[in-house]
Amino acid sequence: MRERLSLALIGIVAATSIAAIAPTRAADLPRIASINACTDQLLLALADPDQILGLGPYSRDATRSWSAAAAHRYPRLSGEAEDVLVLKPDVVVAGSFTKRATRELLKEQGQNVVTFDVAHSLDEVKAQIRKMGEVTQHPDRAEVYISRIDTALARTRQFVAKHRYRVLSISRRGWVSGSRSLMSSLLAEIGLTNAAGELGLKFGGFASLEAIVKLQPDFIVISNDSEFAEDEGRAFLLHPALEHFYPLSKRLVVPERLTVCGGPMVADALDRIVSEITRAEHNAGTTTATH
Amino acid sequence: MVTEHAAATRRTSTIIVMALLVVLLALISLGVGPVRMSPLKVLETLFGGGSDVYRVIVQEIRLPRTILAVAIGAILGLSGAALQGLLRNPLASPSLFGAPQAAAFGAVLVIALGLADVRSYALPGAAIVMAFLSVFALLVVAGRNAGLLILILAGLAISSLAGAATALAMNLSSNPFVALEIAFWLLGSLEDRSFRHVMLALPFITIGAIILMSQRNALRALSLGEETAQSLGVHVGSLRLIVILGVAFGVGGAVAVTGTIGFIGLIAPHLMRPLVGYDPARLLVPSALTGAALLLAADIAVRIIPSTSDIKVGVLTSLIGVPFFLYLIMRERRALGGGVG
Repeated sequence: MRERLSLALIGIVAATSIAAIAPTRAADLPRIASINACTDQLLLALADPDQILGLGPYSRDATRSWSAAAAHRYPRLSGEAEDVLVLKPDVVVAGSFTKRATRELLKEQGQNVVTFDVAHSLDEVKAQIRKMGEVTQHPDRAEVYISRIDTALARTRQFVAKHRYRVLSISRRGWVSGSRSLMSSLLAEIGLTNAAGELGLKFGGFASLEAIVKLQPDFIVISNDSEFAEDEGRAFLLHPALEHFYPLSKRLVVPERLTVCGGPMVADALDRIVSEITRAEHNAGTTTATH
Repeated sequence: MVTEHAAATRRTSTIIVMALLVVLLALISLGVGPVRMSPLKVLETLFGGGSDVYRVIVQEIRLPRTILAVAIGAILGLSGAALQGLLRNPLASPSLFGAPQAAAFGAVLVIALGLADVRSYALPGAAIVMAFLSVFALLVVAGRNAGLLILILAGLAISSLAGAATALAMNLSSNPFVALEIAFWLLGSLEDRSFRHVMLALPFITIGAIILMSQRNALRALSLGEETAQSLGVHVGSLRLIVILGVAFGVGGAVAVTGTIGFIGLIAPHLMRPLVGYDPARLLVPSALTGAALLLAADIAVRIIPSTSDIKVGVLTSLIGVPFFLYLIMRERRALGGGVG
């Protein structure tokens, strides 16, 4: 099902790309530079290759960027104003949170800077895809991605409704993100109960190891299943007390690159949650069978 | 004879009282945490009773933390007493000489470069090497009979160098969280440590303690003056190296799992001197016990003081330690040569 969808999608994107590359249209389309990791990914998803003049400094980071592989084909910019000005783009896309000075400078130099907020909810994700669709003048592609997210959402909701699991999404050092975060929004949209509310961390905060152990959610959601603790923040998630109740079989692993930005990758994040719950259930099934 | 006997009795009773205090504080430390538990329940879970959740909280979260507080507090107190004895100077302590800062640089280098898991022996290894180099460099720079001022100035310079090197290591790292992680690290904390951390630190702390304790008679001889010590068969040069090695093992092993926790080594011997006298040999064990009690108390306090995010125990020991250090300087200022009183 999922493969067929992606194949169809590739077909559509390829068809529109070919149409777009036709010489009569290519000249009219805006040429765009991105200086932000999230706008990088939206741009890669929606623009024609020859519309992309350059991508931000973190565009090739495979752990944080969903489209790192595709980013290698484009110049990597410093994220500062200088190299953007040299490129003379029609539009510069940037995040609205960071690089304020750079954005001001670019505007003063007469650049058309379009900023994107951090996406906190599924609706905001869809709005951002539409917005980038307009910037790149490919609104049709935006709608394809949005309907793909809607399909994945419906599928995930249906799957989750059977179980009513209680989960807690935790990051390094025990950080629990508040209700205004993309991860919390995804959990709420698909109908998983977020145990963060019981910790009194509605707006986010650090949960103590003891509190998590006491809380006993069905699963914990983490972004990385590596056993390597590169620092103490990561060692928190590998603490024996946590591993006692939450071995890998009770951890839903949703990689950072699927949830850190809002964009088409959100559909993959939803599919990933389903496949991780399936894996966890399968493990639980086999362990009870062997007992 | 009578006074000597009285002094020995006083020393023994001091040790017993301090040991009981450490045990009491350790039990309190097991009972304090975000999840409220009655003392009885804590004892029950400690011996394998109670529900799975409470057993894991006490045995896997609080017990390693308590063990580390005892061991690290003890080795810091012991190191302080040994250094003060070696240098015949009451202002000596590992943290004033930049040893923990240098050890932290070693550990940070491993973290920042992503060379090894933070729970591997690479961390204490690097910390110990750096701690040794820093104290060794200090004694080379300051010379054999260095005065207070020179030692403190050289220690300040070494601390600053270690701090700058740590900042550089942070800049060279590819781990995007490294700045925050290292900032936390440098503050010193016992939070959320596990038995893996205990296994990491304890062997080196034990080696350090054995090395320092083995030199107690030499330290006593040294307190009579360098020449007298030499006539008693003490080789001052090698004593110096052995004590540095002991301090490096102890402080390096401790810093590798908790970051820098300062001033315990400075305070502990001072609290014990009025009770057990000025003999460095007799000061070692009481200072170790006092160090353990101090760190346990500080680590209990950071869990009790209400705050939105956790207070780091290293911050608390510095908050207490620095005013104490200033008081000591005031008392010693005639020796520093600039006093008006």
